Amino acid sequence: MKKHFKGKVWKFGDCIDSGNIKGVMAGVDPEFHTKVQPGDVIVAGINFGMGSSAEDAPRSLRNAGIAAVLAESISNIYLRTLINLGLPAIECVGVSTFVDEGQEIEVDLESGTVRNLKDGTSRTFPPFSDQAIVILEKGGLIPYLKSSFASPSAGHDKNLPLWRSE
Amino acid sequence: MGMTITEKICARAAGKDRVRPGDMIDAEVDKLYIKDLRFSKAEDPKGLYGVFKEVLKDMGITKAWDPEKVIINFDEQPARSTRRLEGQERAKEFSNEHGATLYEGYQGGIGHNVMVEKGHVRPGEFIVGADSHSCTYGALSCFATGIGFTETVGVLATGRIWLKVPPAIYVELAGRRPPWIWGKDIVLRIMAEMGANGAVNKTLEYGGSAVADVSVESRLSMCNMAVESLALNAVFPPDERAIEYVKQVGNTAFTPVASDADAEYESRLRFDLTDMEPFVAAPGVPSNGQPVHEVIGTKINQAFIGTCSNSRIEDLRVAAKILKGKTVHPGVRMIVTPASYGAYFQAREEGLLQIFEKSKVLLTASECGICTRPSLATGEVCISSGNRNFPGRMGNRDARIFLGSPATVAASALAGEIVDPREFLPA
Ligand code: SF4
Repeated sequence: MKKHFKGKVWKFGDCIDSGNIKGVMAGVDPEFHTKVQPGDVIVAGINFGMGSSAEDAPRSLRNAGIAAVLAESISNIYLRTLINLGLPAIECVGVSTFVDEGQEIEVDLESGTVRNLKDGTSRTFPPFSDQAIVILEKGGLIPYLKSSFASPSAGHDKNLPLWRSE
Repeated sequence: MGMTITEKICARAAGKDRVRPGDMIDAEVDKLYIKDLRFSKAEDPKGLYGVFKEVLKDMGITKAWDPEKVIINFDEQPARSTRRLEGQERAKEFSNEHGATLYEGYQGGIGHNVMVEKGHVRPGEFIVGADSHSCTYGALSCFATGIGFTETVGVLATGRIWLKVPPAIYVELAGRRPPWIWGKDIVLRIMAEMGANGAVNKTLEYGGSAVADVSVESRLSMCNMAVESLALNAVFPPDERAIEYVKQVGNTAFTPVASDADAEYESRLRFDLTDMEPFVAAPGVPSNGQPVHEVIGTKINQAFIGTCSNSRIEDLRVAAKILKGKTVHPGVRMIVTPASYGAYFQAREEGLLQIFEKSKVLLTASECGICTRPSLATGEVCISSGNRNFPGRMGNRDARIFLGSPATVAASALAGEIVDPREFLPA
């Protein structure tokens, strides 16, 4: 995961539940998996990923190589799950209206900005916490746990507030 | 400045004196619920246990963090797919090897109700569940929220979870609750008022003078729906009714936590229940609620009382009261799926099952059932006591699902169309 990246935008609407996201957005566009390229980003409206907590939906996006999901709002479980899978999930007010499908955006997780590369306009979002960045950098929660807890000498930062070490 | 009940429980779980909304915390979990399906290979080719074993190996440990705090339930019995069956086998293997509590057979039902009825939910606790409707438990004054597959592995390995402390919306219930208004009506009205985006990643905290008159069953239904407004959790105060209920299911050791008088809320909403009309959500999203008169006359093909949202004993009693001595409309399949075997046996004891039988209701075993399994043909319309009316939720994108209270479902089943249940309630 990069903290700073560019990607081509695919747009989706409001209230898309995880059942319809399953299979790389198959419930909304059955052909989407043939169009999307690794590094592309999804931009959606409100309540993205609402509904079931089944992880096949967010995993299908990660496995398709989606670089980030930006939406007006994202369901809580879905947001944490995407981050725990190593995929930035960003709630950003105004994101669904300031960019068109096919345009390129540039995202900076640390400063919390997303910029439309076509017209230069930008939107801001609350920057990611250090803990979320650490998990994303490790490629998700499981790789994070495996490497951080492997052995006390393996460099697990004792001051890291996310987990208490054994 | 005081704290809300959610902030207090989060602070305690994170080992801090106080937390504020927006704080990222590392919380110690008191209880972890896992449904059987999470153990299947649907989400990861290695399955939950396979991934967990790998993590244990790499972390150099041999056991789950605290198996006594892990509760597993079989949500579908008997399993209807080899995938589910395989998940149930792995769940058993996990529980045997690690010592987790597992409910199946006559002990079980729908996991969320089993959790509550078997006394695993206590006021003041920090509970997570590997299912989105784990927010149901907030009815008993605890913090409870749903988590995903990967997070579940994390909790099993470390007993901890990261999350952002949510800001709270205070929802005041005022006035007098009419006897024909239940939790489902109230929560559908609240969700409609808040709008589809009203509570995303927030806490819904219920309070006000009318709360005392809302049954625990209705509170469970209201908290169950919290995830449908995309709230992180919902919570009721630990009042006499809640404490009484918790003691009745066999719990004595718990420390109730209440919000401070000067706790800070992001916003406040007030709902007067006096003269309230029953509510129904139109197909699409659960926040499509409207007073029942708006949809009266809509023809239905199926009426369903089931799911973790509304099929507890209170719901079965109301339905039986309406159905007694009458027969379901010939054009309607009415299906009743009790929330747990506890509710099932209680209903039998009270003679409710016989009433359903005589009314030509299809009674099923206690399980999640048709909440997600296909039961609707193209173009069919269902009124359901469940929690989700998304396109395709019951297996067919071209079927339409309305949500309403069990009273509305039962009365509509008799009429063959959506009706105002008040006209069908015996005096
Ligand atoms: S009843 Fe439905 S909503 Fe509830 S846990 Fe089962 S499948 Fe999920």
